[in-house]
Amino acid sequence: MTRFPRLAVRLIRRGFLILLILVPGLSAIVVVQYRYTFADPADAISLQVLAENPAIRVLFGVPVAIDNAGGFTVWRTGTFVAAGLASWALLTATRITRGEEQSGRWGLLLTGRLRLPSVVAHHLAVLLGAQLLLGAALAVALIVAGAGIQGALIYALGFTLIGMLFAAVGTLCAQLVAERRTASGIAAAVLGFALLLRMVSDGVERLAWLSGLTPFGLLAEAEPYAANRLGPLAAMALMVAAVAGLAILAAVHRDVGSGLITGSEIRPGRFRLLRSLPGFAIRRLLPSALGWAAGLCAYFLIIGLVARSLTEFLIENPRFADLAAQAGFAGLATVQGYAAALFALLAIPMGVFAASRLSYDAADEADGRLAVVFSRPLTRSRWALVQIAVLVAAIVALAMAAGVATVTGTALAGANLRLTEALAGALNVVPVAVLCLGAAQVAIGWVPQAVLALGAAPAVGGFLLTVLVETFGGPNWLAQLSPFAHLAWVPATAPDWAGAAGMIGISVLLAGLGIAGFARRDLRG
Amino acid sequence: MPAVAIRDAIHTIGLTKRFGRTVALDRLDLTVEAGEVFGYLGPNGAGKSTTLRLLLGHLRPTAGQAWIFGRASGDAAAAHRHLAYVPEDVALWPALTGAETLELLADIGPGIDRRYRDELVQRFELEVDRRCGTYSTGNRQKVALVAAFATDVPLLIFDEPAAGLDPLMEQQFRQCIAAAVTRGQTVFLSSHHLAEVDAVCQRVGILREGRLVEVADLNDLRRLRLTEVDVSFRGTPPDLEQLSAVPGVSNVHQLSPSRLSLTLAGPPAAALRILATAEVLALNVREPSLEEIFLEYYGQPAT
Repeated sequence: MTRFPRLAVRLIRRGFLILLILVPGLSAIVVVQYRYTFADPADAISLQVLAENPAIRVLFGVPVAIDNAGGFTVWRTGTFVAAGLASWALLTATRITRGEEQSGRWGLLLTGRLRLPSVVAHHLAVLLGAQLLLGAALAVALIVAGAGIQGALIYALGFTLIGMLFAAVGTLCAQLVAERRTASGIAAAVLGFALLLRMVSDGVERLAWLSGLTPFGLLAEAEPYAANRLGPLAAMALMVAAVAGLAILAAVHRDVGSGLITGSEIRPGRFRLLRSLPGFAIRRLLPSALGWAAGLCAYFLIIGLVARSLTEFLIENPRFADLAAQAGFAGLATVQGYAAALFALLAIPMGVFAASRLSYDAADEADGRLAVVFSRPLTRSRWALVQIAVLVAAIVALAMAAGVATVTGTALAGANLRLTEALAGALNVVPVAVLCLGAAQVAIGWVPQAVLALGAAPAVGGFLLTVLVETFGGPNWLAQLSPFAHLAWVPATAPDWAGAAGMIGISVLLAGLGIAGFARRDLRG
Repeated sequence: MPAVAIRDAIHTIGLTKRFGRTVALDRLDLTVEAGEVFGYLGPNGAGKSTTLRLLLGHLRPTAGQAWIFGRASGDAAAAHRHLAYVPEDVALWPALTGAETLELLADIGPGIDRRYRDELVQRFELEVDRRCGTYSTGNRQKVALVAAFATDVPLLIFDEPAAGLDPLMEQQFRQCIAAAVTRGQTVFLSSHHLAEVDAVCQRVGILREGRLVEVADLNDLRRLRLTEVDVSFRGTPPDLEQLSAVPGVSNVHQLSPSRLSLTLAGPPAAALRILATAEVLALNVREPSLEEIFLEYYGQPAT
């Protein structure tokens, strides 16, 4: 009986330990940062004005208690950190449940006394327990860093419940469909939708009621460090219980190895895009690329729609530019600057997209799917080059889709952003995503266990580095290590062509190194 | 690079693979000639799959080299024009149907006989419109087998091909091997399924803990081994002492007043002359099964 939780614990240990340092650490850093930045009461007032900016509200949520360190931390990092934690929770849930089941390892487990629903329940329990520990660590970190106790407890509890909810969502999706990647995709779409709902409810006053439907909105309604309400948290707890219950119920009603939704097992062959290697690469990529495109387009459409209220705000508050610059949001004073800031963020999902796709390649290799393919007259270098070429095209297409979505939003709202400006801004961050692709290929060649981590590092790690150096200062060379240091604020400023060329050049070198390693090493699987 | 005869389907010199301290394959020197069906035997972990993956260039040798029809095994673009491969555990993309997988493998492969492929799909009773994610182990294996047999190449490499097949499909598999031989294809078959090797192979190599301990014609292998002879007779028994003295005869036992057994190595003529002095009613000569030969190499008694 005790062996099952122990197995699940082993499977999540590494990621959990990283988060155990990262989540409380980052939040504590922001608490300390607040003291540095807003020590002067005048600065705190200008922050208050800044936070009234509708664009800022869409990005970070409605500020409720930014006059104290805890409230500021919740407002500035809450959504991002909770979204990151939720992603980990859902991906881990599908990995240790559906992934293990799909690999056939659960067949052995289930020959024992435990039935499938119990095994699912055990794994879910371990995931929920992990969230509880992360939440406790967060509360301790906030309190130790000097943010108030009551707010810290409310915030950490809400935060824990978000993690728990998406662990349950991942587990539920893993019961619905028979393939881990599909389950992860559906669960990630639920997360994306929950985040979009939060953005819409905060940005559009008439739709503010939507926030009650999303855990991110509920966390905001709990108002940590202000009202400290327990009601919204209770609603979140009910959501967790409902989704977890559904997951167990679904496990009761399905067979081992299959999902509740079986789909069509038999269908006529579709042979388009199978007749060549690039065609096959496109075919493998298409469903997930379309999913990412849909998510990014929805996000940037909302970003575009909000731009109008930003313009109005700017006319009413002419001193905003000064205040924004003081608070570290330089450039947010114009629609172009606002667009540039948001397009810089686009580098993160695009980089993660590139890295995750190559990590699927690594998984295909480890699962032995490439053994037959590589027994055909096909070199590994050619395979890798084709995957990279198709992914570069996909990244460019995603960027253009995001640009078009933004401009659609601004056009509908009547804000002043041209299509060429939006496209330039979106394409400006392509080199960062390409850098991720290069790093992921290096991982495929030399450390194939860590493709996602290494591949996402230039975008995610680079972003964190930039934020940390901006907050605490640091040597110039350290700041320059981040790809974001080499991005100009397009369309507010002209592109940094040298920076872009440098990033592309490094990407090509990395890809070459990775392909060379991949061609020479032993094939896994 | 040493000169390698292009006509040899497989040729290895000193092929060695180490994983850390473990020696998975130790200095393998092996030649498989074009047109033969070669059985590669060994228990689990002996290094069979490692050898195959080295031949395919999926693993890099620690030392030594391998050639496929004279092309270095590491040169996938050239060497793989001459072969088709079925791994032990076939993994396919779960979202593709069987037909789509076959199409993909055909289009990135060295050329295919589509009519024969369709015939193979019928013979193996493969439901090609089913998604690979729903296939059993055996069905996944069938997809890879159909793809391999239909490929127009001189060498077929199989790793435990019949592991997931039922007896009827195994029969089809043997017929396909026979058809491949008729077409002049070379077959390299790794297996611990001895009946299968016994049924289709002409020559076998026996691998033990990474070392090739024997390569022989299957018939020679039997001939070199001890044959068990069981004799029933009427009246006076043959002279047992004289019989025991014949070179190659051993283990002479009188089982009953009218029956004796002995084991025989080498030609039986001398022993038969002595047996003929009695009135022999029945003579039962049993050659050792491949299993017994195989177990002999691994120092276990045949049961």
